[in-house]
Amino acid sequence: MDDSQPYYGAMFEGTSPRTGTDFRMKKKAYFKADEADTGLGKFKGLEVRIGTIVDDEWDEPMGPTPMPGPTTLRSWDHKILTKYQPSYMPYCQVCCLCTMGKCDLSGDKRGACGIDIKGQQARIVLAAANIGCAAHLAHSRHLIDHLIEEHGPRTELMQGPGTEIHAPVTRLVTGMRPRTLEDASLILDYCETQMTHTLSATATGQEGSWMDFESKVFHAGMIDQLSMEIADLAQVSTLGMPMADPDAPLVESGIGMMDMDKAIILTIGHNIVPAASITDYITEKRLNDQAEVGGMCCTAWDITRRDPKAKVVGPISWQLRFIRSGRADVVVVDEQCVRTDVVREAKKVHAPVISTSDKAVMGLPDRSDDPPESIIKELVSGKIDGCYISDHSIVGEVATKVAIALKPSRRKMKFFPSKKAIQKMAEDCKKCSECIRACPNDQNVMEAVLAAQTGNMEPLREVYKNCIGCARCESACPNDYDLHSWMVVAGEADCEDEKYMVRTGRGAIQDTEIRHVGQPIVFGEIPGVIAHVGCANYPSGGDDVHHMAEEFAKRRYIIVTSGCAAISMGHVRDENGQSIYERRSGAFDAGCVVNVGSCVANSHIAGAAIKIAAIFAKRNLRGNYAEIADYIHHRVGAVGISWGAMSQKAASIAAGFWRLGVPVIVGPHGSKYRRMLLGKADNERDWMVYDARTGERVPTAPGPEHLFYAAETVAEANVLTAKLVLRPNDTGKGRSIKLSHYIDIHETYYGFFPEDIWKYIRRETDIPITLKDKILAQMKENKWKERKIPDPTLLKEQVIGGGA
Amino acid sequence: MVMKPVPWQTGEICGPESAKSLTKPDVLKRDLSKAKKLLLIVGSEAPDEKHGKGDMVDYAIALSKAGKMDVIATGGAIKAFIEKGFEGAKTMGAMELAYRLQDPEWKGPHGRGPYDMIMIYGQPYYMQWTMLSGVMNFAPQIVPIALGRYFQPHAKWSFPNMKEKQYHTILDEILELVGGGK
Repeated sequence: MDDSQPYYGAMFEGTSPRTGTDFRMKKKAYFKADEADTGLGKFKGLEVRIGTIVDDEWDEPMGPTPMPGPTTLRSWDHKILTKYQPSYMPYCQVCCLCTMGKCDLSGDKRGACGIDIKGQQARIVLAAANIGCAAHLAHSRHLIDHLIEEHGPRTELMQGPGTEIHAPVTRLVTGMRPRTLEDASLILDYCETQMTHTLSATATGQEGSWMDFESKVFHAGMIDQLSMEIADLAQVSTLGMPMADPDAPLVESGIGMMDMDKAIILTIGHNIVPAASITDYITEKRLNDQAEVGGMCCTAWDITRRDPKAKVVGPISWQLRFIRSGRADVVVVDEQCVRTDVVREAKKVHAPVISTSDKAVMGLPDRSDDPPESIIKELVSGKIDGCYISDHSIVGEVATKVAIALKPSRRKMKFFPSKKAIQKMAEDCKKCSECIRACPNDQNVMEAVLAAQTGNMEPLREVYKNCIGCARCESACPNDYDLHSWMVVAGEADCEDEKYMVRTGRGAIQDTEIRHVGQPIVFGEIPGVIAHVGCANYPSGGDDVHHMAEEFAKRRYIIVTSGCAAISMGHVRDENGQSIYERRSGAFDAGCVVNVGSCVANSHIAGAAIKIAAIFAKRNLRGNYAEIADYIHHRVGAVGISWGAMSQKAASIAAGFWRLGVPVIVGPHGSKYRRMLLGKADNERDWMVYDARTGERVPTAPGPEHLFYAAETVAEANVLTAKLVLRPNDTGKGRSIKLSHYIDIHETYYGFFPEDIWKYIRRETDIPITLKDKILAQMKENKWKERKIPDPTLLKEQVIGGGA
Repeated sequence: MVMKPVPWQTGEICGPESAKSLTKPDVLKRDLSKAKKLLLIVGSEAPDEKHGKGDMVDYAIALSKAGKMDVIATGGAIKAFIEKGFEGAKTMGAMELAYRLQDPEWKGPHGRGPYDMIMIYGQPYYMQWTMLSGVMNFAPQIVPIALGRYFQPHAKWSFPNMKEKQYHTILDEILELVGGGK
């Protein structure tokens, strides 16, 4: 461990365990009251900050790295990055970040600042991770400040029944147990400091080594995970969301579920505070028969976690189709993943936009200080296209009243052209192909338009099914056709039929659930935990997410999900009309599908892996990052999949998992993150570990083979998933089960028996019994030799006796 | 159809270096004569793309046989090769491949490398774009030739967003050039 442990003011006081000096956790106390009647007298606007409170009730010993600085875990990162080296695929070969440039970095050239192309790629990856981390962290900060204002700093934080180890990420990273909102705020102080450091490293003339850029990427990812955990912990504790509840309610989802007899308020983004103000207002004023709220992206999960009467309209990629359909009478945006042209689009359908976040004001006039009635009047009259309201307490009233007032007139309006009109317009198509060239998925929009000339709307309908709703085809069209709208018209029947029941986010995983499955996961008897998370930039429609989840759920893997992936996963019905959430339990158990919630609830997925180390292996979490990451990497067969990964946030979420040693697969568009983290299966030296029992360096099979990988197709992703759950610690039975699935999936999708099975056989007990002859033949052919099953670790200090 | 050597997906512009336009097979003669070991990389879209009486997997098989090229299928395209009874193809992920090609000593899954020329088609456009960026920037020992219909700026040679008919004609001419075809 680094001697130069950073000092973070009064938040953490102590000494590194290596030097043996005493340490104590401290935190500032803060109290605020508008009016207080005390023994000392009456006070107005009272704000008190007092000394420190010492958390000395926690008897778990402090680990070596509480609140790590940017280089504290560098040694761990380098171990991982040596095993999984970055493979860069530059998105451009120049740097244009300072005025000495643009610099040509192609070949072995260096820029004016001295950077080479690998360093530059790593730098951009770090910039992306910082952007993603900043988005979650700022969201978290807003939530905490708001909730302290509403509920007070001493408000208790709870994850729910059966979660004695609450906030596992926070414990692991900071060495703190956050008990109150005030603690949460202190932890965010730490996060903000760290993010400033990692962001600053991207400035010209700072970091220069790709390896150290990448280490800071991991740091940003870890901080991101921490800030997400704090955000979800705080909102679950205060906003009436399900608390680690496997039976979180099923809620209505899909465009067809919206009740057009009511005024519709569409909320888009990630921050529940303004959306909650709307559902609260509707409930309080008993307006449920007149208005309803639908959400898109993570706000959808969080409003339905708070109020199951609200609806999940769809994933982020459906924004445009829903807005253009005119169904929303008011659009309320908060933060992250909001279309930046939302005002322009909503204006086309006469729906006002209310911006509620200082991060996405969208050029709208600030009406935060105006009385609600005057804002409502201006919005209803159309005098303004929308407004920015920073005071969330009035958003509910304004949005609801405006929606109810506008509904009657808006229901008489038609927003889409008729099929006949489309047919007529299509006749003027210039056949320039620009729509296809603009389409991220290379969909043949032009052919579909040409078919529409004859009245055949079926090809446009097919495009609708696979469309990610970016509308780049429209921007490219020289005729200014509203091509996305045409697709929606062609897919109108599908749109109306989008009616599903999805399980809203349950929050954390209970300790009792971990107790139940910890051993079978670590021994490999539950073959893996597969987490489908992230955005909706799918290469060919959202159904793929469902199919991948179902493929592994039916094989008794545990499926965990969140965000837009969780929405898409629920948008497929079986022959009985049921979604995956209706068919499968929400418990953290074999064959179940566990929706943890919104983006910030991703931290519970990491939390579950961390808790396995604490509960099953009885490892100390407190400030003990490298040991726990090493444990997870070698023992917990978890794989993250973000099939539609699009954003910088997805990058930082992935980075948080990389530092824990958990592999992540992305869809083909994920190749645009421009760097993979890949192992070399045939390089035996890369797969050597210490046997913690003896200190001996021993070879292991290449598992997990890669840490970050963009799969070209669902077939490849499935084969890779089955392989990436293999861990050196699998028992014979566990390895045999995992290999059976890998072989079966490989044969199904690739059409032949995999040639690398022999590499994963350590002893004959690893061989799946029904395939014994085939595997024995392969072993013989490859001159297989028996290997021991080590107690694997990359950390010399984990060797019994300290590895001396 | 643009028929220009510009990236097919309009946003996918590259840096200072860009591929040369492949409009006549003869321009490949020099590079082919210098190449010692060729690798043909075929992606997941190949089985669905028609060529002559067959598809682009059939074309790959013909090209491989004519040019004595090892074939690596990506993204699950291997299944189509196996179904056609062709046993010379191996499977790897596109991202793995882009990485391993950077190692000048890498012998590949057939054990017959290292390769000094690759021919490639069949991956989603943007994915091949990134793969070839890795090869162009970090595998200078390899001459990459993109045989997809659309212009790939990170190859050494690439078709300039060709019309379909013209594209399939030139593919047959390339097959002849390496010793196969009619």
